[in-house]
Parts: sequence; structure tokens; C-alpha cells
Amino acid sequence: MAKQPEYHLQLDGLLAETLPNGLRVRVLPERSAPTVAYYTFFQVGSRNERPGLTGISHLFEHMMFNGAAKYGPKEFDRVLESKGGHSNAYTSSDVTAYYEEFAAEALPTVIDLEADRMRSLALAPDVLEQERQVVMEERRLRTENSIFGLMEEQAESLVFQAHPYRWPIIGWMDDIARIRREDCLDWFRVHYAPGNAAVYLVGDVDGPEALAAIRAAYADIPAGPPPPPVAAGEPPQRGERRAVVQYPAQGGALLLAWRAPAATSPDAAVLDVVQAAISMGESSRLRRRLVQETEVAVSVHVSYGWRIDPGVFFAFVELSPGASPEEAEKLVLAELGRVARRGLAPEDLARAKRLLRSASLHELATHSGVAHALGQAEALLGDHRKAGSALLQYAAVTSADARRVAAEWLDPARRSAVVLDPRPARAGAAR
Amino acid sequence: MRPLPFPLLAEERLDNSAALVVARRPGIPLVAVRLVLSVGAALDPAGGHGTAHLTAISCRRGTRRLGGLALDRAVESLGSELGSGSDEDASFFGLSAPSEHLPRLLQLVTQVVTEPAFPAGEVERLRRRELAGLRHLLDEPGAVADRALLRTVHGDHPYGHPADGTAAHLRRLSRASVAAYHRRWYGPGVATLVVVGDVPEAATLARGRRLLSRWRSAADTPPLLTPPRRAPRRVVVVDRPDLTQTQVRIGVAALPRRTPDYFAATVANAAFGGGFTSRLVQAIRVDRGLSYGVRSRFSMSRAGGMFYVSSFTRNDAAAELLEVAFAEARRFADEGPTPEELDRARAWLAGTHPLSLETHEQVAERIADLRLYGLEVAEVTGYADRVQAVTAEDCRRVARAHFPGDDGAVVAVGPARLLQKSLARFGPVEVLSPGRAV
Repeated sequence: MAKQPEYHLQLDGLLAETLPNGLRVRVLPERSAPTVAYYTFFQVGSRNERPGLTGISHLFEHMMFNGAAKYGPKEFDRVLESKGGHSNAYTSSDVTAYYEEFAAEALPTVIDLEADRMRSLALAPDVLEQERQVVMEERRLRTENSIFGLMEEQAESLVFQAHPYRWPIIGWMDDIARIRREDCLDWFRVHYAPGNAAVYLVGDVDGPEALAAIRAAYADIPAGPPPPPVAAGEPPQRGERRAVVQYPAQGGALLLAWRAPAATSPDAAVLDVVQAAISMGESSRLRRRLVQETEVAVSVHVSYGWRIDPGVFFAFVELSPGASPEEAEKLVLAELGRVARRGLAPEDLARAKRLLRSASLHELATHSGVAHALGQAEALLGDHRKAGSALLQYAAVTSADARRVAAEWLDPARRSAVVLDPRPARAGAAR
Repeated sequence: MRPLPFPLLAEERLDNSAALVVARRPGIPLVAVRLVLSVGAALDPAGGHGTAHLTAISCRRGTRRLGGLALDRAVESLGSELGSGSDEDASFFGLSAPSEHLPRLLQLVTQVVTEPAFPAGEVERLRRRELAGLRHLLDEPGAVADRALLRTVHGDHPYGHPADGTAAHLRRLSRASVAAYHRRWYGPGVATLVVVGDVPEAATLARGRRLLSRWRSAADTPPLLTPPRRAPRRVVVVDRPDLTQTQVRIGVAALPRRTPDYFAATVANAAFGGGFTSRLVQAIRVDRGLSYGVRSRFSMSRAGGMFYVSSFTRNDAAAELLEVAFAEARRFADEGPTPEELDRARAWLAGTHPLSLETHEQVAERIADLRLYGLEVAEVTGYADRVQAVTAEDCRRVARAHFPGDDGAVVAVGPARLLQKSLARFGPVEVLSPGRAV
């Protein structure tokens, strides 16, 4: 491939088709490495849940590996690994994505495995009980015994009062215990029909042959009902919101959060640039100010993930010993306020764009990265061909854009703040 | 299966012994640069654990020609971030960026390694940050367990402390400590520069040569370490009364990276606790619902290594999980894998191996490892064949020699009031506070 200074994703060879049952299929042959990535995106996540049934998307994701009509319990990964592949999945607030990466020869097996579970998932009662325990351990790992996990859960329930983004993706412990097999059967019927799904295949394959094989394997799966609409409303925030997490810890921490633009908003790419400018790299202003100059913090991480509905812009600060969360909060707000008043200095803007360009290129450097980018683009932006398009959006961002977006979305009066109050461990600890 | 498209290596050893390796890979217009020195935390002075790591990160804070901030700006304005650090065997400096910036990347990374200025204020600040960072790290139960395991398995061996050091030792370090480490151990004789990407081989070698050939140093030759030895059973509980989930580890001293048993160990581990359908995952997650995750691994270093099992479960199930893990290890060592397990483990390893070599960074890191441990490229290009040649008997033999039996360290991080009783069946329990354990 020739060197392209303004490289972006090449989609010329991409084949796209929608089967009569509604399943969308996108195949991109890319033969530089003898591997294939196969993603199946279902347009369902914690956003589609309701109180009392939180966490069902994620628990259900676990059940997808536990047996269908042709390949029974324990067989999915055994068959895949014995063909030279591996699989995993994740659940987000917006989507549930399953993927396999494998040697090209295993493609027929992977198509067969995936079509089998979309057609005829078993949901055996004893396996559901086992998997429920596994998910409870996962929640203990990621949330109940994790300081960031505890703080993030609080922050999201501050930022959102009405929208389903207010509950954690993994669900509340009581709800994980409550979910019944009938709930899972309903979930499958409503959210796992082919019309709510898309397959992305990228790698060492012959495009038309692969497309024909997918068509043949999935064609007999009946179309399902359209999923019910999501109650996506959220009232405006009219003032600052705060929470405290008391937990035994050695180090203090602060998590600030703002409601942030939806993926389809033109402001989304601008906010990415702001995030990169203030927090990516040692020379970013937040790191210099908090970690190097004042030494108030050990680390500062700013993140903003694109979601279907307006999501969250986070700033997480791990404090130095003796530093107060108030001091850290003041410093973060001062830097955000500076962007909202003055925009970004030319060198900060240029650096942010270059760092984001590198990050995008790295993301697109593997078959899995490309397949995932296609799926994300279709799920969040409504068009798989928009994969990698953020590169072009970033290039166009100006300092005035950054100023406007920071002023609009990162208003200190509409912040949510979660402070860790480190407590000594309870009595009885060994000396 | 199609052969692995691993690049041909263009190599050169300079008069001062520095090694250059360039691998041309067409595709995405990025380039990965990695400068590795085969000196790491195992050479930390007594009482100075964390010196190698502090040296590597302090190199980043300014050179004779560029201050820390100027260096950050120079690197980051190219769309890159320069990472540095140490593990037990090596110190590494790595960055990647769009290919057109290669000349500048090479200049910066060699400058940082060969002529750091170690500004006193910056070294002191990093030392304070590392100390403060450790406090946050020790709030993570999994990290506490990993560090306690290292110390329990390897004890006073140079591999027995974490590369980023301990609070007690970090408090004693200074600019003089890092300057001394750099002076004594950093030199062309232990340096390998690896460049991977869509770049011309000859011109890139020439650039590397110009930048590194003038490097003179009076560095010592690193000593050879004796391998760490297996020790009798110890049970260590790190007390965290507030946790609702216990982190558990089992570990024994095991193989170095360069061993004729590398592929046998890799296949045995894959079948036992590597893949998602391994014995351990089946027994602990699938059959009993005890944990979300469990795995085993041979961690292999230059002079030796460790075989360990890592998992977590609700507090009242910690002993059961450990029982199951020990019983499965014993059974595997007695019987080896079934023919079906063996086939599956080999196919999984061979089929997914190319996925670990997709990006320029992954390839650069692999090349650096080959050089660091004195391995042949054929180990990478012939990976699938070598994996397929491993027999059930090979796996059984490796398991008998290196899986835990009646010995081995057991580490648990959770409430001691529960664990002290439930873990007593594995041996006398030592209870430590988090500060003491790591």
C-alpha cells in the first residue's frame, strides 16, 4: 500500500447487504494477515433495560456462550478453540457485541456457531443459576471492591435522573439476583432477532464467498418484532450535584462528570479534541498543572465515550497524600474554564489533532479494530461507512469550536462531583 | 494454514556493540521504535528497589539538549507519546507515530537514553509521584496480591521485588541513585534499537548507526543471576477486612524464558489454565460458578520464572477455590491432557498466534524479546509447527516438574478473620497488613 499522508479507512472492497429477515451483513476482505475478525452487534444494552431488571443485557451476554440447539452447553468455545480461534463479548449501555478472532480456515465453523445461537439459544435453567453467580463475582470485582467502580456508579446516577444511563451496565446486585429465565427468553425474542443485529467480517477471506456463506447460514432465522422504544428523556440539570463515597483507602480521589453530546452531534468530535488537548500526553495542561506543577494529583484521566444518547464527560483525579479534593476540583474547573473562555492555543490544538490521528490509526491497525469500528459507526452513527470518519472531523476543529463546545457542555454549574472520603480499615486489621 | 507473514530482519551490530534491527512492514503508515537495554530491576541495589524503574522514567525528564517540557512537546507534537519503564530483566523506551516522523523519533529516543540530564527537581518529583502512586495501587486488591506473591515465591532473589519498587525503598532514593544506576548499567553493549514499519531498511539502519555509534560508556557487564529455587509451602494472608471478595494466588518458582521446554510449557499451560475452555476455567467458573475469572501462566524471565494461578471469589469460597486449583494441578501432573484437550490447546495457540503480531508495536516488542533472551526468529516463524509437535507426555512431564504440589506459595488478600481459619488447611497462615506485605 502506498504511503498516504491523510490516511483513512479504505472501504472500496466492502460488501454490504441486508437479508430478507433484516440481518445486516458487512464483509471487508483484507488479506495482509491470515486472520479474520467476526463481530456480531446487537442493538441492545443497559439503555434498553428498566428498573428491577437492570443488568439483564450483560447477564444475557454470558448466556449466549452457554448452549444452543446444535452446539450444546460448553461447546461454543471448545469448538472454536479447536479450530484455532477465540471469542469474547462486551455489553455497553448501547450495544452488546460478540466477536471471534481466528485463522481464516475456521470461517465456516464460526458462521455455523454464530447462526446457531442467534437461531436457537437454549437458556438452560441450571446454567443460568451458575452464570448468575459468575456475574455477581464480576460485580464484586469491578464495582464493590474497586474504588473507581464505586465512584463511577455514583457519578452516573448523579448525571442522569431519568435516562437509563443512570444505572450501571452490570446492574444492581438485587436485580442480578432477581432476573428470571422468562425475562431472558423475552430478552432474546425481542432484542436478538436478526433485524436488531449486524455482522461485520474483516480479514483474509474472499468477499463474495463469505457473504454467500453468511446468507445461507442465517437466511432461515425468522424476522422478529421491532424492539420497543427507549425512554430516553432527561430533564435539564439546574445546578451542581454532589456525592461522597466513604471507603477504606490510602489515597483520595475525585470524579467530575458532565452530561455530554450524543455521538451524532457535531460537537462530539470537538469534545474529543478538547479532551485530548487538556489531558493526553505529559505536556497537556491538566497533567502539567495537577501532576507536575502543583503536585496535587498522582494522575488525571479525562474520558468521553460516544453514545447513542447524550453520555458523560469524566475527569478522574487520584490525589497526592495531603492534597484536598477541593483544591483538585478548583484546578480542573480553572483549566476547563480557560478553554471555555479562550479556546485552545494553536500548539495545543495541533498536538491534540496529531495524538487523535495516531490513536485512530492504531485503532484501525488490526482486523478486529476495523470490524469493531464498522460496528460502532453503524450502531452509534447509523452508517458503517462512517467508520474512521472522525479523523476528518478532528482535522476541521478550530479553537473557536473548542471554546463554544466547552462553554456549552462543561459548565461548572452543571457539574456532578463524586469525592472519595478515605476511611481507615475497620478494627481487627493486622498490624 | 497460511504461513505467518513475519518480516525479514535487517540487522547490524555496531563497533561499540549496540545492536540495530529494522523490520519493514507495509500497511498502515505508522512506525514503532523500541530501544531496549537488557538491564532491569534485578540489578536494583540492596535497599534501593525501584531504582531501575525510577532511572528509566527519569531519563524522560530532560536531556543535555532539551528540558523535560520541551521533550514532552517535541514528542507529543508528532502525535506520539514516549513510554519508558523497567521490568526485572530490561529497561525499555518505546514510541510510535506516523512514519514521516521517524528521523525525529529516533533522535529523541536515543538522546533520552544516552544523555539524560536527570534534573534534580524532576527526579525528586517523580520519586514523590511514584510513592503517592503506590498508595493508590495498594488500594487495588489484585495488585496487592500480585506483589505479595512475587515476594512470597522469590523471597530475597533479585526477582523477589516489584520493578516499580516499594515505599520503604523509594523513600531513600535520590537523583544520585538514578545517575549511579545509569552510569553503571546503561551502555551500548546492552542496547538494542528496533524499528518496525513502512520504512526503508538501509536508510533506517544508517540513521540508527549515526545516532548510536558515538555512544561510549564505562558500563559494567551485567552479572548472570542464579535461578530462583522452589521453596516449601507458605500461606500468606494480606488483611483487608473490608473486602467482600478475596483475591487468591498460588505460585512456584519455574522456568526461564530460554528453555527447551518452552513449547511444552506453553501447551501444558494452555490446556490447564490458559484458554477459556481450560481445566481451571471449567472447574472453577463453569462447573462451580466460583469466579468470573481464573487463569494460570508461566511467567518467564532470563534467569528463571514462576508458574502461578490467579483468581478471586467471595470470601467464604476462597478455600474451596484453592482446593479445586491444587487438585486440578495434581490431576494434570498425574494424567496430562486428554487427546481432545491437547488437540484443542495446540489448535488454539497456533491459530491465534498471528493475532499477537498484527501491529508494528507487537512485532517490535517480539523482536526485542528475541534479542533480550537470545532466541531464534524461527521460534516465531515456526511457532505453529513447534506447538503441534508437543505431545501429551511433554505436557505431563512439564506439569510434574513445574506445577505446584505440596510446596508452593498461597497468597490471599481479604478479611483475615475469615481467611485465617479457612486457609489453615494449606499450612500455617502468616497474616500481614497491606503495608507490610508489599
